[in-house]
Amino acid sequence: MIRLSPQMRAAIQRTMLPLLILLSGAIIVLGKADQLLFDSLRTTVSDGVAPVLDAVAQPLNAVGNVVDRAKMAVLTYQENVRLETENEKLLHWQQTALNLDAENKELRGLLKAVPDAALSYVTARVIANSGGAFVRMILIDAGTENRVARGQAAITGEGLVGRLTEVGDRAARVLLITDLNSRIPVTIESTHAPAVLAGDNSERPRLLYLPSSDAVKIGDRVVTSGEGGVFPPRLPVGVVASIDSTGPRIEPYVELSQLGYVLVVDYGLSRSLPQPLPPLARTGRRSKAEAADGVTH
Amino acid sequence: MALKVFSIPALPRVNNGAARLLPVATTLLAAVISVLPLQIPGYAALTPVFTLMAAYHWTIYRPDLLPPLALFIIGLTEDLLAGSPIGVNAMLLLLTRIAVLGHRRYFVNRNFPFVWTGFTLLAAAAMFGLWGLHCVIDLSLLDFRNAIIRAALTIAIFPLASFMLGRAQRAVMGAG
Repeated sequence: MIRLSPQMRAAIQRTMLPLLILLSGAIIVLGKADQLLFDSLRTTVSDGVAPVLDAVAQPLNAVGNVVDRAKMAVLTYQENVRLETENEKLLHWQQTALNLDAENKELRGLLKAVPDAALSYVTARVIANSGGAFVRMILIDAGTENRVARGQAAITGEGLVGRLTEVGDRAARVLLITDLNSRIPVTIESTHAPAVLAGDNSERPRLLYLPSSDAVKIGDRVVTSGEGGVFPPRLPVGVVASIDSTGPRIEPYVELSQLGYVLVVDYGLSRSLPQPLPPLARTGRRSKAEAADGVTH
Repeated sequence: MALKVFSIPALPRVNNGAARLLPVATTLLAAVISVLPLQIPGYAALTPVFTLMAAYHWTIYRPDLLPPLALFIIGLTEDLLAGSPIGVNAMLLLLTRIAVLGHRRYFVNRNFPFVWTGFTLLAAAAMFGLWGLHCVIDLSLLDFRNAIIRAALTIAIFPLASFMLGRAQRAVMGAG
């Protein structure tokens, strides 16, 4: 290290601090004006840190598993009773599903309906959380190396988690459906009313642009509409949980704060998603415009 | 402002490499800890601001070993990892340094409740500032409740963080 006189050091420190604060301010403004500017830096850092975070996330998952097992061991009897009743119910549903499936196939055959595109899945571990009150994102340990692509849907067994927004070689960032910038085209399952699911950083995202206010009622299932061709249709998203002055809100099926693993769905159409758009005329609102893109395309 | 700092008890020289790196290393560790996906319901939104604790602690006790440039880089790293608007945490940590350096003489060699009170004010101001900044960046009025809970959690966990940082400081640097 270069030896400097204390006066010199103090002088450097005096100018360094305001200078760096100005620089941070400039970066915030630049990053806001053109969100692509730092995208490659973001993916590079995510890729670089992914192995470290992955290594740390593994024992965290293991600890979670141990806690789960301990709970199971204590509650075995009650759990067993609950599962038996549930199993009975599910067997009944299985029969119903098989009947419906057969009937569905038959009807589709009669209608000569175009079969749905085949889905393939990539399983990925959640390696980082956004850690803050103002952003809802996760980082997963799958990237282009694992053939995941920007725009694809991340789900769990329960339902939709979010959309891949940045994809590096080894890691990808998922914008959760609760994030302020998330916009997902959905439909109400019972009425087929289209809507847009808009996050607002709360745990219950809102339903926007419903054709009429009586198109939904509490308890309705909300699924992806598949509009835009990026998300597969009929992915379960959540149930309508409340209807207040700000409109209907849904309770997501997935417990988004307790994600360990997610599945990335390749619907075979994600290549058709335009790659990062050039800066739009509406500077400053790019992310929302981009999120809405799934609806308009 | 900076001269005032160097007029209060001179900081003991540290020559050992590990000791010199300790403040930067622990603050960086704090940034990594804050993005760990702990599977606790609701935790992600309420994660305490660990880097703020480390920055506060080290700016009081060893401002020489956690220079502005380190704070800037650690802040940017945290922004990049967390997916938050880039530059926000960098600015937060640098402003923390200004705020703490300006009042450092009140905190050095004081008992812990005093230091904690200082941190309480800082965390409250930081969370309010973060909220305001995010409102401007997102161009909408964001929910303030999560920010309040997050500030409270940050303040509540600070004694533990401070204790651990102090232990590490004594272990690696010796008394000081």
